[in-house]
Amino acid sequence: MTDAAHNERWIRWLNTVQLVIAGAVIMAPTVWMVLSSFKPSFEVTAYPPTVIFAPTLENYVELTRTTPFLSYALNSLIVTVGSTALGLLFGIPAAFAVSWTRITWPAILTLAARMAPGTLFLLPWYVMFRQVGMIGSYTALILSHAVITLPIVIWVLLPSFDAIPRSVFEAAQVDGCSVTRILWRIAMPLVASGIAVSAILAFVFSWNYFLFALVLSNGDTKTLIAAAFNFIGEGSTQWGALMAAATLIALPPLLLAALVQRWLVSGLTLGAVKG
Amino acid sequence: MASISIRNLTKRYGTFTVIPDLNLEIADHEFVVFVGPSGCGKSTLLRIIAGLEPISSGDLYIGDIRVNGVQAAQRDIAMVFQDYALYPHMSVYDNMSFALELRGTPKVEIASRVKRAAALLHIEPYLDRKPKELSGGQRQRVAMGRAIVRNPKAFLFDEPLSNLDAKLRGQVRAEIKALSQELKTTMVFVTHDQIEAMTMADRIVVLQSGAIQQYDTPEAVYERPANQFVAGFIGSPAMNFFPVEWREERAVLSQGGTVVPLDGETAGRLAKAGQAVLGIRPEHFAVAPEGTDGLPISVKLVEPLGSDTLIHFDLANVSAIARVDPSLRPKVGDRINLRPQPGRTHLFAATDGQVLR
Ligand SMILES: Nc1ncnc2c1ncn2[C@@H]1O[C@H](COP(=O)(O)OP(=O)(O)O)[C@@H](O)[C@H]1O
Ligand SMILES: [Mg+2]
Repeated sequence: MTDAAHNERWIRWLNTVQLVIAGAVIMAPTVWMVLSSFKPSFEVTAYPPTVIFAPTLENYVELTRTTPFLSYALNSLIVTVGSTALGLLFGIPAAFAVSWTRITWPAILTLAARMAPGTLFLLPWYVMFRQVGMIGSYTALILSHAVITLPIVIWVLLPSFDAIPRSVFEAAQVDGCSVTRILWRIAMPLVASGIAVSAILAFVFSWNYFLFALVLSNGDTKTLIAAAFNFIGEGSTQWGALMAAATLIALPPLLLAALVQRWLVSGLTLGAVKG
Repeated sequence: MASISIRNLTKRYGTFTVIPDLNLEIADHEFVVFVGPSGCGKSTLLRIIAGLEPISSGDLYIGDIRVNGVQAAQRDIAMVFQDYALYPHMSVYDNMSFALELRGTPKVEIASRVKRAAALLHIEPYLDRKPKELSGGQRQRVAMGRAIVRNPKAFLFDEPLSNLDAKLRGQVRAEIKALSQELKTTMVFVTHDQIEAMTMADRIVVLQSGAIQQYDTPEAVYERPANQFVAGFIGSPAMNFFPVEWREERAVLSQGGTVVPLDGETAGRLAKAGQAVLGIRPEHFAVAPEGTDGLPISVKLVEPLGSDTLIHFDLANVSAIARVDPSLRPKVGDRINLRPQPGRTHLFAATDGQVLR
């Protein structure tokens, strides 16, 4: 065996080890969470953790019995779908406008807003929303979550729009299309899979976002993730129920992320619209 | 159907002036070709007519209407793009019907117009296909079909043949010409290929650096080029240019002093100017018998084309080409006596290249 081939095998082996370790570190809490949710409640905090146990749904039953879990789930769904729709409604035309005019600062601005810590917005928003009496409303939550969804939609779609040959738009102009109609009839169909990807990503990020709902919601509009936070430490923490809640909360994003994975490839390489 | 009129048009990108003060009248039904080297502003001018580029100053009329501020969508002009720019997500039929649909044309009429255009262009079998399922030549036809179903005021073409292979290019060239005679619509065609310009145009606009060098029929541009640039650009192989002067009552090559046999009229013009650039097309040399008046040359390279033979030679430090009869069977090293055909030589001012009259 040559030195080079020997080295290569070594590198490959090290890579594998690295991946396994990283995977284990990342996945361990998730696995622990899912397993724990099926353990009898007294076993969840047992030390050392039990590996063999009789699976039970008692935590899930307990969860729905003691908390308005389903109404929290509905709140999450309303806020997430609403903010995703809002993000698409404004993000699609915005991305198209940025691509069309090549004036990029609005897109940069939204990205900056997304990168800034959420707490930056929280105080002014709290004051503003309270003054107009909107604290605890779905509207306030949807609007605040648009800060999450809008940049995602814009930045996922921007390269897709940019990839459409300019002459296709010009042909449509000459054919008699107004700019809005070009967006609707030419550009949007051509970036359809990009729109789907951006919608799913926006959904996942909005679903998972925790801070705004914690402060801007009330008992009736609390989202799942904010509600789950409150499960901790109200009297004695119900670890089993908490694990069940966490598992259920993580389910939609996990499923959608799995879906995105397949679409990302076709969606983000839409550059291939050339004739 | 409409005339196109460009008056004192200027186009600048920032501080860079692409088109300085251009005037052009294109008559109704006319087939005009813009030709010129790459970067001379042909596409810019065409896109200004289409409404895709704003005008810096000056006026543009389509028909009797000043369209400076009119959007491309409202100009009722059709354009065929170099990359065809078909709508990738639409079938061939939808590509062609799109503009009509936007105008609210009744469905039945759309169908009949698309069918007629498809028949004219031989693309009926592909109406249900997407652009990516077509060959380059077929896409090119769809792009033309999309233009002709509309019955627009004018057609604009931006180098629509440059992505086709040589054989197809010749074929489509002839088809576009036939189409223009059938449709009787104003056409503006942009190309950098002087053969396309010569074969298709009613009139040719020769452009250089955004300025019109000559605007005339193909025959006139070939026979009577207005300046040395046009003379060198139109015709293939290109015209040969030799600096000449009037010395001791004779025309001689400035380099070497060989006497050039010119007809009396041309000699008279040179006598007046003192010195000039003599232009002779390769096809306008005659082979003169040895010992008679002529330019003695030595054959450097022979290119037989079948119908003619090109011979390359050096004369007065200029590398030149003559087109001769193949029966001459010239060989490298042969000494030949070439004489410019009377009345087919051109004289250009040594200073600015304008033709000397
Ligand atoms: N959008 C633009 N911005 C700046 N310069 C441009 C732009 N479009 C074209 N030009 C310049 O204008 C000149 C003419 O371009 P164009 O009309 O495309 O030439 P042609 O079609 O004759 O090859 C070129 O020098 C080109 O670089
Ligand atoms: Mg061009």
